[in-house]
Amino acid sequence: MDRKRVNIAVIEPSRIVYEGLANIILKAKRNSFVYWLSDFCELEQLLNKTGIDVVIINPCIIQNRLPEFMRYKKHHLKISWISLVYSHHDNQLLNQFNETISILDSIEAIVNKLTNSVIKDDNKVVKEQLSEREIGVLLQLVNGLSNKEIAEKLCISIHTVISHRKNIIEKTGIKSLPGLTIFAISQNITSVNSIPQ
Amino acid sequence: MYQTHKIYIQEDMVLADLIIENPSLLLLMEFFAIDDVINDDTVESICKKNNINLSVFLTFANLYNGFNPNRKDINTNNIDVRTVIKFLKKTHLFYIHDKYPEVHKYIKQLYKKQDKEVIERIELFFNDYFNEVLEHLRYEEEVAFPYFCKLLGDESKISDANFSVNEYREHHTDIETKLSDLKNLLIKHIALKGDFPLKRKIIQSLFELENDLIIHSMIEEHILLPLVEELEKNKNFG
Repeated sequence: MDRKRVNIAVIEPSRIVYEGLANIILKAKRNSFVYWLSDFCELEQLLNKTGIDVVIINPCIIQNRLPEFMRYKKHHLKISWISLVYSHHDNQLLNQFNETISILDSIEAIVNKLTNSVIKDDNKVVKEQLSEREIGVLLQLVNGLSNKEIAEKLCISIHTVISHRKNIIEKTGIKSLPGLTIFAISQNITSVNSIPQ
Repeated sequence: MYQTHKIYIQEDMVLADLIIENPSLLLLMEFFAIDDVINDDTVESICKKNNINLSVFLTFANLYNGFNPNRKDINTNNIDVRTVIKFLKKTHLFYIHDKYPEVHKYIKQLYKKQDKEVIERIELFFNDYFNEVLEHLRYEEEVAFPYFCKLLGDESKISDANFSVNEYREHHTDIETKLSDLKNLLIKHIALKGDFPLKRKIIQSLFELENDLIIHSMIEEHILLPLVEELEKNKNFG
């Protein structure tokens, strides 16, 4: 997956407001993806599936669930929390957020606030190429070896083999063994003659 | 897959306008065997003329337009199971006699310029993939559909194999993984220098095939299976 992409979850009960905000975000041409959630409890489910960088919430939703919200904030320190305000709210509540977007903000202001809120680690170089170790594991895989056999042959733990396999799938986007074989041949990692049909 | 705007299709809309918005609906017309000129006729009048159950048409057309069916609309009073089965049988013919030969023809053409060994593997992979699709289609034709027809009280061949909802569902996941691998390989990893038009055609065909297979499994899982469960229940209590 594209690691420069910014994933934004919007927790807002009104579909109209969500569509408007999503339109502004997507047209700002930052590499971003917007998910719509109608309630706070759906966030956990989304976080299991994908990383989230920014959560925009209508404060009404957490007004009576502050402890729950604080727990979330503590668990997910990398997430930026932004409130989306279109009525009056207590300052004490709004102070819980890293930033506040008002429904009356201009498009530029909204985009600026969002850009400033995204904490993207610049040191995290986008590196989609397979490492030497991963190539080693891939080679044994396409030769038909099992996880256990690969671990023994390369003198690494079975746990490490599994983690390499996971990375290979994530980086190439290819899950099946025959698919990985074609990948290896096309990248000249292995030749056709050396692998079983 | 060519869809531009999302339009929720209703019976008083003009079919030609809808096709201009989303040409994928041409396939739907083909599957419903609508081959007359359609002029500016509405969906309702075209369905009447061609003897097509209107609710089924609207539900399927909206699937092609990106709207999932409402669970409460899916019942045997509203949706005619025979029309659904007839439609699905038509889609099978499309996969077997249209999409498969198309992709296969393109892959064959790659041998002219490309590394024989890589293309051989791709051909093998695609054939394996399509064999899985065929196996699923065969299961439907030989086990699932006859069972459904029996529930409807239609005369049908007696099948020895037992129908199982779980087995039916499992087929879909395997099929989707392989197709996604093939798309990823072609889009990201395999160069095919000097053959870009062919590469584009293969990828587009695969997307078309995938899009239709997704709708196919949606119809099966979210429309046909609930209907079958309802029929089974009626049979047990009735």
